[in-house]
Amino acid sequence: MSDAQTAGTKRNLGVEIALGVVLVLSIIPIAFTTLLAFLPNRAIVSSSWDFPFWLGNFERVFKDGIFIAQIGNSLLIVLGTVAICLVIGTLSGYSLSRLHPPRWITIPALVIAGFIPLIPPMTLLPGLYVLLSDLGLIGGVGGLVLVNAFLNLPFAVLLMSSYFSTIPEELREAGIMDGASELTVLLRIMLPVVRPGIAAVGVFTAIMAWNEFQMGLTLTSGGATAPVTVGIAGLLQPFAVTWGELAAAGTLAAIPIIVMSIFANRQIVAGLTAGAIKG
Amino acid sequence: MVATANATRSASPRPTARKRSRPKPVFAIVALAPFIVFGAIFAAYPLGQVVRMALSDVQIRGGIFEWTWIGFANFGAVLTDANGLRSLGNTVIFVAATVVLSLIVGLALALLVDRAITLLPLARNVLIWPAVIAPVVVSLMWLLLLSPTAGGLNKALYSLGLPLQGWIGQESTAMAAVIVVDVWHWTPVVFLFLYTALKSIDGATLEAARVDGANEWRIIQHVVLPALRPAIAAVVVVRVIMGVKAFDEMYLLTSGGPNFATTLVTQHIKTLFFDSLQFGEASAFSLVVVILTALVLGAVLFTRSKVEK
Repeated sequence: MSDAQTAGTKRNLGVEIALGVVLVLSIIPIAFTTLLAFLPNRAIVSSSWDFPFWLGNFERVFKDGIFIAQIGNSLLIVLGTVAICLVIGTLSGYSLSRLHPPRWITIPALVIAGFIPLIPPMTLLPGLYVLLSDLGLIGGVGGLVLVNAFLNLPFAVLLMSSYFSTIPEELREAGIMDGASELTVLLRIMLPVVRPGIAAVGVFTAIMAWNEFQMGLTLTSGGATAPVTVGIAGLLQPFAVTWGELAAAGTLAAIPIIVMSIFANRQIVAGLTAGAIKG
Repeated sequence: MVATANATRSASPRPTARKRSRPKPVFAIVALAPFIVFGAIFAAYPLGQVVRMALSDVQIRGGIFEWTWIGFANFGAVLTDANGLRSLGNTVIFVAATVVLSLIVGLALALLVDRAITLLPLARNVLIWPAVIAPVVVSLMWLLLLSPTAGGLNKALYSLGLPLQGWIGQESTAMAAVIVVDVWHWTPVVFLFLYTALKSIDGATLEAARVDGANEWRIIQHVVLPALRPAIAAVVVVRVIMGVKAFDEMYLLTSGGPNFATTLVTQHIKTLFFDSLQFGEASAFSLVVVILTALVLGAVLFTRSKVEK
């Protein structure tokens, strides 16, 4: 896995130029949105290219407090989702990979873990809507935390289980023989070893929960009860699009995630390629 | 302490040691239970409700669902509904195009990055940016570029004196635009899968091929591509699933229009359930989508196991 050279070691100018072009194409939409966020609407819709620096878009986005409330909702959803995914992902991942639970319980667990990622959440939505109505959780942050946790749990459990399976069985046995309980072994001996897995699950489920849109759109009534992604979509009114505000809101939602991806690159790559474990 | 434990273990006969250290099944079951409870409540129960709704005429009165059993009538209605069939067709086109294009671009990127030296550290970071941004924000960013009235692309065309385009606003180009957005968004995932696989190819094999005088293209064709086949198969499965799930991009960019040109199955379910309040038909159509997805994935996995044999 180390940098075993697949290609030659000589610098190839053609390769660097081609890659440079792709990098520019990757950045253009992000950079353009960030640029428009600092422009007044008339500069955006005019056919000439003027760049009068302006902070009014951000001012307007924050003016009525709804956007702030939506960011707050999203942060609560992220916190709740990450907490549930870390606790259940760790416990169940550990059990699956190291505790050899009886078949009658592992088979349903593996069916759920394999099944949930395959079906489009939208197809479960009619059923989820009925479920949350029955529980009185329609339209609140609590319901969205549970739904987001459910959508990310298979990933969390499988990824944690693959990290636990790299720990030799002897480590657990030694702890048990010293008289530690199963829970103590997990908390004191296992958790420190799988810290990279915990970081990967935490970072990745945080991003997934922050980015989630379908469930936020369909299971809340919008406005101050909605997550920030729904708020951004709501800025797109059919007849009076305020492009600058749209760009400002998009920038505010995207830049923190990009900054995070610079510092937590390793965890995000582990999350994005987690499907390879099953493949 | 650990040393003592090891000593005790090596002194005692092996079977006893194993027996004593067998995990208490109680803890194993308790630790696994929350996941199963979650899955049962949020997957099994809703799925049961979807099946029940699909077989019923459901009306909402005073905020309460009223169910009347009607058998398979909803399925009949769904399978003859022109908009539903169109959304299935659109989804097939969308999934096929996005999977193939992101696979080609992702493979090219993995090979490029593997050969890059100066841009390598930058590329490994920047190339994943599109994949971490929220789909809603991605479609917003592309809306700012592709809008026929205020978008950056038409502004650029105007400045260059070229004819303006309808992009997402016109039936003939809307689907292509949506496909380009999806490929921009998710190619990083393909790239990461293939780049990781590329890095684990045995360097000695490549060295041998190079010593034998094989040129780069022949090495890629005869050594690299065959070695990447399992990773390609895995990423195709992942991307097919992502394609069937796609919703957010369309919703903001085109909301399925113009004239249903970009309505995918997810958008159709959402419209049936929340906008036209045809709960039974929405559920029946959901089940059709789940079954078709399962069939396609089954076929992919089946051919894959055949090929690998």
